[in-house]
Formats: sequence, C-alpha cells, structure tokens
Amino acid sequence: MKPWIRSFLGIVLFIGLWEALSRLLDKSLILPKPGIVFRVLGQLLVQVNTYNIALQTAWKVLFALGLVLILGVFLGLLLGLVKPLNDMSRPIIMVIQAVPVISWLSLVIFTWGISWEGPVFIAFLSLLPTAILTTIAGVQNLDRRLLEMARIYRVPWLKVLKEVYLGSLLPFFIAVVDVSLGQAWKVILVAEFLCGDQGLGVQISWARQLFNIPGVYAYTLLAVILGMLTERVIKYYLGKVKKRWAPA
Amino acid sequence: MGASVTVEEACKNYGTLQVIDRWSLNISGGERLVILGPSGAGKTTFLRLIAGLENLTSGSIRVSSKQVGFVFQEPRLIPWRTVKQNLLFVNQEADVDGMLSKLKLTGFENYLPAQLSGGMQQRVNLARALIVDPRLLILDEAFGSLDLRVKLSIIRDIIDQWQEKRFTMVAVTHDLKEALCIADSILIVSSRPSQIVHRFSVHLERGHRAFTDPELLRLESELLSIMSEIQ
Repeated sequence: MKPWIRSFLGIVLFIGLWEALSRLLDKSLILPKPGIVFRVLGQLLVQVNTYNIALQTAWKVLFALGLVLILGVFLGLLLGLVKPLNDMSRPIIMVIQAVPVISWLSLVIFTWGISWEGPVFIAFLSLLPTAILTTIAGVQNLDRRLLEMARIYRVPWLKVLKEVYLGSLLPFFIAVVDVSLGQAWKVILVAEFLCGDQGLGVQISWARQLFNIPGVYAYTLLAVILGMLTERVIKYYLGKVKKRWAPA
Repeated sequence: MGASVTVEEACKNYGTLQVIDRWSLNISGGERLVILGPSGAGKTTFLRLIAGLENLTSGSIRVSSKQVGFVFQEPRLIPWRTVKQNLLFVNQEADVDGMLSKLKLTGFENYLPAQLSGGMQQRVNLARALIVDPRLLILDEAFGSLDLRVKLSIIRDIIDQWQEKRFTMVAVTHDLKEALCIADSILIVSSRPSQIVHRFSVHLERGHRAFTDPELLRLESELLSIMSEIQ
C-alpha cells in the first residue's frame, strides 16, 4: 500500500473515532461532531478575512522562528567557542528555559499591552534556549582535526567559518528548525489566545467566550493545517540546502 | 627550492611527561628525511612542532618557509565537500585539474570523500598538501592504512612530484622499506623521552626505488640491526 493511502486511511480513522466519541459523549460543548466542525471550517475558508487572520499568526510564527535562528545560532556559536562565556551564561539559559509561558505573559502585557509583540516575544524566549543549546552541542561536536588542517594551510577564518563550521552545524541547524517550528505554532497560538490583538489564537479565544465550540475546533484545525503546511514547505527547502551542503 | 629546518635542543613536555628530549638536527633544502622510532617516541609531535601546530617547551625550531603541506595519517577531508572543493579550500587559485591529473584523480573531481576508497582519499590528502606548492612536505604515517599496491603507487607519485619541485620532505613511518624508498637520511630516535640516537644516510639513487632492489634490502637489514641494538 502506498504511503499516501496509509496516511489518508489514518485521517479517515481519526475522523471516525472522533465521530464515535462525540456520539458517545453527546456533549457538543466539549466535543462537537466532526461534520459540524468541518461545516464551520468550510464557512471560514470562503471568507477572505480568515486568510488575513491566518496570515497574522503565520508571520508571527515565521518572524519568531527567524529571530530564534539568527540569534540562537549566533549566540550558540559564540558560547560554543568561548568556554568561559558558556559557563557564565548556562544558568541564565536554564532560567529562561524553565520560566513558564504564563510568567512571561504578565511581563509582556505590562510592557506592550495587547499587541503582536507579546506573542512574538514569548515564542522567541520559549524557543531561544533550545536553539542556543543545540548550536553549542554542534560546535562542541565539531571535528577539531579539520580546524587543525585549515590552520596548517592558513585558510582565512571567514572561509573556515563558512566551509567547516557552517557545514558541521547544518544538521544541528536543521534540528533546531525541526523542533522549533511545531513549538512556535503552539506557543504563538497560546500567546495570541492570552495577549494577542489579532490571529488564530485570538479567534479561538473569542469563539470560546461566545461558546462557539465548533468555531474553536475549526480554528484549531486551520492552525494545525497551516502548521503542517509551513513545516512541509520549510522542510522541503531545508532538504535542498542539506543536499547541497551535506549530501553524505 | 625546499625549506631548510634547523632544530636546536628541542624539548617538548606534556605536563610532567617529557616526550622529546633535546633534539638537534639540520634538514637542508630538498632533503628527504624519515624518522623511525618506537611508538610514543614523539615522532608525530615533532612533525606537529615543525608544522607550527604546537609550541616547544624549550629549544628552537626554525623553518625557512611557511609554505607547508601536511599529509595526515587520516585524510581529514571536509566530508560535505567534493574532491575539487577540498583542494580549492586550501588554495583558491590553484590548477586543481592539473593536480588531480598528476595524482590520477581525474574523473573523481565531483566525488565526495565518503564515495572514495581509503587509497583514493589518501591521494586527495596528498593532492591537497601538494596544491599549496609546499617548500616543506610533512608525511605522518601517510600510507599506514593502505595496501601495498596503493602504497607503492602513492610513493611513486610523491617521488615524481619531488623530482619536479624539490621540496623538503620529513616523514614518519614504521615501515623500513617505505622509509628506504623515500629517504635520503633516516633519523632513528629512542623511546620516550626520546633522543636522537642515529642518523643513517641512504646512498641510493634519488629517483624511484624498488622494494626489491638488492641494495635496498641490504640497507634494510643494516637498519634493522641498528634498531634492534638501540631497543
């Protein structure tokens, strides 16, 4: 059986189980029937505004992810290369990693109020430690013998950085994107739900306040589909980069 | 012309462990020197010292040129770069195709190291060392892991290159035949803390030498007896 048929059957099975469970529970406030949810989703998909809302969330996800990658890889590189700095910053990274989203929330609301900055900042802080720590692990796993070789041949440092460091770090960089992307969607949705001005998280929050439970599910489904789509697209391009840089 | 190397009372310690004990020697430009000695005698350390990868504890080493090629024991090729890119990494302006042709690597330009056999990887390692037009070529047990046929072929290529460029060569090996095939002189060192105990001149034709050459075989047994006396 082809993989896509298996995936399709998996989706059918999931919807079937959902239908069965919703009939069993018979509480549309907790678990509405899939038919109702899909109908709401269909209504949303024909409205232009839905795409604007989805875009609001998507750009926040990509912006936060971009910031995390740029700063996380840069800081990870720096801390991986300078051990005293690494030792000094480790407790700070651990603290940032341990602080729950809800604690950042108060800080964000006091600083920016209800706005786009809050969700981006929260996602950024939630993902940054993983990016830094993964990059540090990459630097520490670097083949020192290659650096020694480059030293003997007096290769300019910028070339060493590009050819040796970036090549070695690429699998770690891809791992950061892999882990962070799914996380970014979840964190941005939560943050939008709690302190956002626009976006899918805000729509879920309003739907919940209006007891529009099928709406909650429909927006959630939309977020899941968008999350999966962005993941696919980014992974496709990362695969191309990987093929060019580290085909072995 | 090859670089000259002057070593005076060179000592190298790692913490309290003394590895090299007062080595003094001169290697003249274009000379081919092979160092023989027991494992752990600091032979590789000496190569790293003349390559500038490590610092002496005391004494001095002067190398008249900074143009050094190093053929490592393991190829140390960038795994995600092709053969050609690996050579361009050390010398952007070099005639890579010419060098690949000289070392019988034509057709493998776009291969990744993992797609090559151990012998081919070692050829690329050598090509990379030669492409910087070295005045001093350092070989650290460069043929240790290769089968005899590949080893002979690579030695032949090195001698060809030496005849063309006359660089200075300093090599470390455990194989006496290999040493006699390459060397003008052989430095024999004792076990750690190592000292130079003998410098053996190889009066053979400086071009290609055969492993089966009767004079080479005679020198091998002479060398063997000197080494067994030392140990």
